[in-house]
Amino acid sequence: MDLLEQFSNIKFYLLGSYPQGEIGGLLLNIILALLTICLSFWFGVLLGYSRLSCRLYIKLPCMAYIEIVRATPLIMIIFWVYFFLPYIAGTNITVFWSAVASLCIYAAAYQAEIVRAGIIAVPKGQLEAALSTGMSRYRAMRHVILPQAFRIMVPSFLSFFVSLFKDTSTVFIIGVIELTQAGIIISQREPNKMYAAYVCMGIGFWIVSFSISQLARRLEKRIGIFDLESYRPDACRDEFMLLPKKKIAGEETPPDISCRSADSR
Amino acid sequence: MIKFIGANKSFNNRLVLKNINLEIAKGEVIVICGPSGAGKSTLLRTINKLEPIDDGEIIVDGMYLSDPKTDLTALRAEIGMVFQHFNLYPHKTAIKNITLAPRKVRGLSRKEATERAEKLLEKVGLLHRRDAYPVQLSGGEQQRVAIARSLAMEPKIMLFDEPTSALDPELINEVLDVMVSLAKEGMTMVVVTHEIGFAQKVADRVVFMDNGEILEIGAPPDIFVNPRHPRTKEFMSSVFHIPVFNVNQEEDQDF
Repeated sequence: MDLLEQFSNIKFYLLGSYPQGEIGGLLLNIILALLTICLSFWFGVLLGYSRLSCRLYIKLPCMAYIEIVRATPLIMIIFWVYFFLPYIAGTNITVFWSAVASLCIYAAAYQAEIVRAGIIAVPKGQLEAALSTGMSRYRAMRHVILPQAFRIMVPSFLSFFVSLFKDTSTVFIIGVIELTQAGIIISQREPNKMYAAYVCMGIGFWIVSFSISQLARRLEKRIGIFDLESYRPDACRDEFMLLPKKKIAGEETPPDISCRSADSR
Repeated sequence: MIKFIGANKSFNNRLVLKNINLEIAKGEVIVICGPSGAGKSTLLRTINKLEPIDDGEIIVDGMYLSDPKTDLTALRAEIGMVFQHFNLYPHKTAIKNITLAPRKVRGLSRKEATERAEKLLEKVGLLHRRDAYPVQLSGGEQQRVAIARSLAMEPKIMLFDEPTSALDPELINEVLDVMVSLAKEGMTMVVVTHEIGFAQKVADRVVFMDNGEILEIGAPPDIFVNPRHPRTKEFMSSVFHIPVFNVNQEEDQDF
């Protein structure tokens, strides 16, 4: 009974400000992460693509942006945006949009690098083949290179999304009532439920992050069709190092999981 | 159809093409052979300007390649190219690989493009594999799809860059058969290959290159059996292991 009592505030972690108020809690984390990824994706693609340009006046600003943002802690960016953006824009911005803006600035730099790596990873012959059939560079990029690059990007993109989701907890510092802030408020208002508060925060983040990474694994498996030979998500070290398989006593040789996807084609 | 006038090209201060002069007539089948690093592939790739030349001139179907106003997409649409490593688009099925360029460049409707692609797939004997992804096809099948992909643009010239070098010996013939039938239909073809048997069967002329230079041009028997240039002699004797002149066994070429 005591335990149930501890967790009686659970809905506030999920949805809103304590004791009642606008949207908050875990839902706000999810909204922040999704909004950021949707907005910063295009920025990241543009940035990553321009980063590959041979023209220095396009390439250098992009490189500078990426290197500066990646070498700065997220919390600094959040403070910069929080203090400087209203000053530059001349109007007040709600903390929510301030948080979205700083997360976008942060995420775009990382996504730019993912996009760049993805485009570079497409073999050169693909562009040659496309050009030799008379496609323009733009068409070749759009129909041949980018679709393949995006597939290559998916795993790193999703793992970045997981870490971005976790990073949304940082914006509590400027007073966005997302899961961390909601938990802190509850633990302060009702100190007798403090332990539950921190446990709930942890569980909340874990459930969502874990679900995204599971989704990522499935997606990766489906996309693996292009490279069945090297796609071995379940490989263990012995296989990797080409060691002979160990036989476990009293057990039949287990089916070779790592090769299953390769055989099923 | 294709004319090289004093074409030169260098990579990192090393001349890879030296003063190339060559004229290829319509419907002619030219085989380029020579040791690796001789500049064969580079020569082939200058024809559709995948590699630009430094000086000299190449005229393809009336278009001057050194002229910056030449529309490269129009030029390349008239020239099909087949690569050593097939370079099929791995994210598209065989039929989609073939229909992509006709639809985007020639502006064909999906239906027209698919009809044309099916005809070509039938021609290369792969209609039953139309919905397979490249990873599901064998090397020979991939290369035949790649040939069909080039033919779908109805090119005037076909370039083959070592089309059988990456294939298992048993799969080479199915690709060569397609190329032979193409040659018989009167396609202008420039082929870089080590398949001497193929060259003897269909080539009108053989070009022997070494060190970026064309050393000898002649009919297949002249080059393979009675080479004049000492370098050609040396190369041919090593190709045939011993100075053998009767070459009917294609399996015998080992590089």
